[in-house]
Amino acid sequence: MSQPNRLPPPWGLLIDRGTPVSFTFDGRRYEGYAGDCIASALAANGRWLLSRSFKYHRPRGVLTMTGGDANSLVQLPGQPNVSADRMPIAPNMPVSAQNVFGSLDRDRAALLGWFGRFMPVGFYYKAFYRPGNAFRFWERIIRRVAGLGRVDLDSRPGDYDKAYGFCDVAVVGGGPAGLAAALTAADAGAEVMLVDEHPALGGSLAYARFDADRATADRLRSDLVAEVSAHRHIAVHTDAVAQALFADNWLPVTTGNRLYKYRAGAVVAATGSIEQPAVFRNNDVPGVMLGSAAQRLLRLYGVRPGRRAVVITANDDGYGVALDLAEAGVAVGAVVELRAQTGDGPMAAAVAARGLRVLPGHGVTEARASRGHRHVTGLVVAPLAGDGLPAGAGERISCDLVCMSTGYAPDAALLYHGGGTLAYDDDTATFAPATLPTHLHAAGSVNGRCALDAVLADGRRAGRAAARDAGHDAGPVPDAPPDPSAAARNHPWPIFTHAKGKEFIDFDEDLQVADIIDAIREGYDDIQLLKRYSTVGMGPGQGRHSAVATVRIAANATGRDVNAVGTTTTRPPVGPLKFGHLAGRAFDPVRRTPMHHRHLEAGALMMVAGPWLRPAWYGARTARDGAVRREVRAVRTNVGLIDVSTLGGLEIRGADAAEFLERMYTGAFSRQPAGRARYALMTDETGVIIDDGIACRLSGQHYYVTATTGAVDGVHRAMLWHNAQWRLDVDVTNATAAWCGVNLAGPRSRAVLARVCDDIDLAAGAFPYMAVREGTVAGIRCRVLRVGFVGELGYEIHGPADHGEALWDALLDAGQDAEIRPFGVEAQRALRLEKGHVIVGQDTDGVTTPHEAGLGWAIAGEKTCYVGKRATLIQQQAGLTRRLVGFATVDPDAPVPEEGHLVVRGREITGRVTSAFRSEAVGAVIGLAYVGPEQAELASRLDIKIGKAHTIEAVVVPRPFYDPENRRQEM
Amino acid sequence: MKILNCPLNGPRNIAEFVHGGEVREMPDPNTCSDAEWVDHVVMEHNIAGVVREWWCHVATAYWFIAERNTITDEIIRTYPASEVFRDRVDFGGPGQGGPR
Amino acid sequence: MAQPDSIGPADRPRRSFLYRTLDEAGARFVEINGAAVAVDFGSAETEPDAARTMAVADLSPLPRFGCNGRGALEWVRGQGISIGDANNAAYAQPDGGLAARLADTEVLVLDSLRGSGTAVHRIEAAWSSDEASGAWPVNRQAGSFWMMVTGRHAPAIFAKLCGVDLRRGTFPPYAVAQTPVARVNCVVVRADLGDTTAFHLLGDCAAAEYQWGCLLDAMREFSGRPVGIGALWRLDQGKSPA
Repeated sequence: MSQPNRLPPPWGLLIDRGTPVSFTFDGRRYEGYAGDCIASALAANGRWLLSRSFKYHRPRGVLTMTGGDANSLVQLPGQPNVSADRMPIAPNMPVSAQNVFGSLDRDRAALLGWFGRFMPVGFYYKAFYRPGNAFRFWERIIRRVAGLGRVDLDSRPGDYDKAYGFCDVAVVGGGPAGLAAALTAADAGAEVMLVDEHPALGGSLAYARFDADRATADRLRSDLVAEVSAHRHIAVHTDAVAQALFADNWLPVTTGNRLYKYRAGAVVAATGSIEQPAVFRNNDVPGVMLGSAAQRLLRLYGVRPGRRAVVITANDDGYGVALDLAEAGVAVGAVVELRAQTGDGPMAAAVAARGLRVLPGHGVTEARASRGHRHVTGLVVAPLAGDGLPAGAGERISCDLVCMSTGYAPDAALLYHGGGTLAYDDDTATFAPATLPTHLHAAGSVNGRCALDAVLADGRRAGRAAARDAGHDAGPVPDAPPDPSAAARNHPWPIFTHAKGKEFIDFDEDLQVADIIDAIREGYDDIQLLKRYSTVGMGPGQGRHSAVATVRIAANATGRDVNAVGTTTTRPPVGPLKFGHLAGRAFDPVRRTPMHHRHLEAGALMMVAGPWLRPAWYGARTARDGAVRREVRAVRTNVGLIDVSTLGGLEIRGADAAEFLERMYTGAFSRQPAGRARYALMTDETGVIIDDGIACRLSGQHYYVTATTGAVDGVHRAMLWHNAQWRLDVDVTNATAAWCGVNLAGPRSRAVLARVCDDIDLAAGAFPYMAVREGTVAGIRCRVLRVGFVGELGYEIHGPADHGEALWDALLDAGQDAEIRPFGVEAQRALRLEKGHVIVGQDTDGVTTPHEAGLGWAIAGEKTCYVGKRATLIQQQAGLTRRLVGFATVDPDAPVPEEGHLVVRGREITGRVTSAFRSEAVGAVIGLAYVGPEQAELASRLDIKIGKAHTIEAVVVPRPFYDPENRRQEM
Repeated sequence: MKILNCPLNGPRNIAEFVHGGEVREMPDPNTCSDAEWVDHVVMEHNIAGVVREWWCHVATAYWFIAERNTITDEIIRTYPASEVFRDRVDFGGPGQGGPR
Repeated sequence: MAQPDSIGPADRPRRSFLYRTLDEAGARFVEINGAAVAVDFGSAETEPDAARTMAVADLSPLPRFGCNGRGALEWVRGQGISIGDANNAAYAQPDGGLAARLADTEVLVLDSLRGSGTAVHRIEAAWSSDEASGAWPVNRQAGSFWMMVTGRHAPAIFAKLCGVDLRRGTFPPYAVAQTPVARVNCVVVRADLGDTTAFHLLGDCAAAEYQWGCLLDAMREFSGRPVGIGALWRLDQGKSPA
């Protein structure tokens, strides 16, 4: 029969019995209903064994039904470590077990369980401490045995997305406290975002039993959920996880393939509490589960969790579990009450009225299981002689289900993230918030309120406080309501050690009581060290179900109280997070010049230059050398055109413009006439070169200064920072985007320009080298700079960016007869190297000073002030430790050294190459290199190491390498 | 992510800003000792407590000053740089007044 | 309504930074302010509806004028442009244009969607290197793209691209934000068209094609699409100059 454990309605809030869904698990076909998760559908079919444990490969099954443990992790195609508790089934979904050798049912590695005593706590540290490479050998084997799922390296990335979100109040948790908080805050006028990790709102109202009469919770749930869903000030995310709480109420929420980054005015954490397993021998075998897990199976999925149950309890909720089971037709063998007396609540009374057997003052000796620990078959219980001490042989109660309801821990992850602290109350054995930051409010059971009235009142209080924090008039905020029932919720010692062990503290990491005790004995008695040494709480559950027991054992073993032992901090993310969520929609701005598409049309190979794309050369990737040579030759002998729109452009204007430049740059600008351009070198306060450019004085109060492509934004900021202190009368505008630019260079550039420019006198005398003119080029208003970066007659033409393409077209057209050729960055670098020019960032590094780089000539030493002046003076007194020199190889056919190749003297490293290229014009390999000061004299010999055993010989030569008298650029 | 309240643009994610170091008095570069200058350009005071820091809102290139408690990371106050730097600074010869 | 003449996308030396993208998407161009502006994408009848839902239009060639400096506000006001006291606010002009006050030292004047440029050209012409005024022109025309993002989903797509809350409650009409949008520093101005939510978006022109792609990608979820300026004119109709 299909689904033998399925119960009739009204059991099964989430499932749709009208929509059967068929899927496979480990190759076998199963049928469930839409709304089932993998674990509930399998349980409906009597399949309890879901996985094998991490270390010992013991059979594991449903434990929490919340996804907060490793027991339920399964493999989907392309997706490892999926929680069967949470993942909805889908038609034909192929689910398989992971961490299994052979099959889940017959796992060959289960033998490891027998060797458990040879794998003590700290096994890896101890076994592989030495010899040094032993771990490398064992690691492969261990990783195979102790693995989790398989990553599918061929999986296709999905479409992930991110969005910012904004709300006044974020409420995390859609249980009674969260619903009440959301409604109260929204009624006060706050925009509320309510997030819940489950598919439906309601939290514990959907599965837990607050009263002898089950209807109370049902009614409350449908009323509250309806009211929240209809409220126009409340936005609801279900199936969504608030992964963290960061500074200033910054809340990442993942849902589906989207990551929301919520900014809230205030946050209500109504995250509830986590039921804690009791600790006894064989508490890990399938069929042993939390009381709340059994209730979730019953109420949410309509699945009967067993046929005959034993409930271990120390609070009223356990009686509610017993009632639920009995109503679902599960025989209740006994309610094992750890407390001396039977509970006195209404649910305990209802249990008594039903005539169920209650064993007050009893504890657990062990669970018995079928062969291979495949399922629980019974529980051995005995009267308690003291906390954790069952006395005598005890009684074996046969059952196929053990429910544990002995206490809770607050789900306090967000409180920790927000900077809150928790404290343990020894009287009630309860962790509760001790301090919370402003704008963060805990409500409901995370705040130690359990009775439904108190939970709702606490939710309303928190909602009101949060609305007030977010700036809404919410009226007076009452004190948190008292809840006397909370005192009877947690047993201080639901821990029953056994001589033969296998009482699991941490199911994820397969840690038993003895492992914790042993680690403490070995000296790891600090909770932080204990966690790291034993790995307790480091598995997928992140201590949700192990931290409380661990700290109790540590307190007991070290004779301290629980607060003195303390807890480890939980850190984000709260739930599993995919890399896709983090990667999501990534923004990587690309800047294109106005001529970008013309370059593509001309076959340019584009390269990344800072945020820009620039033509490296025009031609195929493989045709570099020939293309660059042709482009260089065109500029040297004829005319070339390069797009320099990526140059930074700063407009510096105002009565103090000249004074400002004097301070920012090393040179002298006050007496620079309008219409002239000067080299401008910038140093920072430590005297290090940070940028260079050309300062064009357009009028008395107006300079136009260029800056290097990558540096302009930083230079602009630095200028504004300095002037925020100097308060000169100057306006500094970053006009980089507004100006496109081209450099028309080569002996025939004047003739080409003359064809499209008739309002500037281009004659050498009228428009000399380092002059600036404003006029029109092809009818476009431009600034024309006669500068010589590439060492030929040339004009840098700066025009409005929205005319850039037309400007480019007009110049190429005008140069057609002269066989003009566009050239790229590589040719430009070669041309400037022949002229010996330094590129800041290429030939300088993070500590290069002007004198080292041979740029001392650009410093106006008599000035009273420029930013790097004092540092430069100090460095000058100290003397140079290196200098940038030009070199040429002795053998003209020597290979070209690369950037970073070392200059050596014997075994000593004395410098490095910053630029090099084989120059046709010079007839040698030339370059720039840092060398020791004693090697910097002209004609010094340098050895450049270009490989392990290959050194080439070079000689220091004067710069420029090409046209040393600068005749060509000044034609 | 923290929020920083820009005096020009209002509260924004701190990713919109760059940090510009501590607000410090510059010694007179023409008269201070080498050691004083090196200390000025190299050393951050890095005190535990309330510091004054430069911050720049990048999209508007707007520099301002924030008072921040380095122990709690609480930003106490932000205000325009002109509240501290009120007057023009000159580095003239003697008699012109030194830098702040 | 009389429409300007159709022209090719690159017929004039001033070109939108997006003209190729618009052309490939089937735009029909008309001449405004000496450049080709996409007036529609061959579906002039349905584009206003798209613009009410989720759309983006390129306004890059339309006239605008920037002014920086300690005297910028005073000087621009002297040209008959009304500018209020708050920064990061835009002020409506009688001719349908806007003046956005970006700082105490920075103003951006946007022409009306008609692009006649009367006011912008007038103040451009009035500026004659009066160096004492402490006001300096900034070439916002050449330096920035200008797009308009419209429709009821517009705040939702900005939420994917930008960390500032642009929903109506926090960002009312004529509010201005200077902030990264898809990591490109932009000026965002809320300027509804009739009852349709609409934002001006101006940013570094070199990133125009990148930004256009980001916007279209983000608005896929809402079936967003490019529309011509004609659709914006239709939505703006009936809004009489103040």
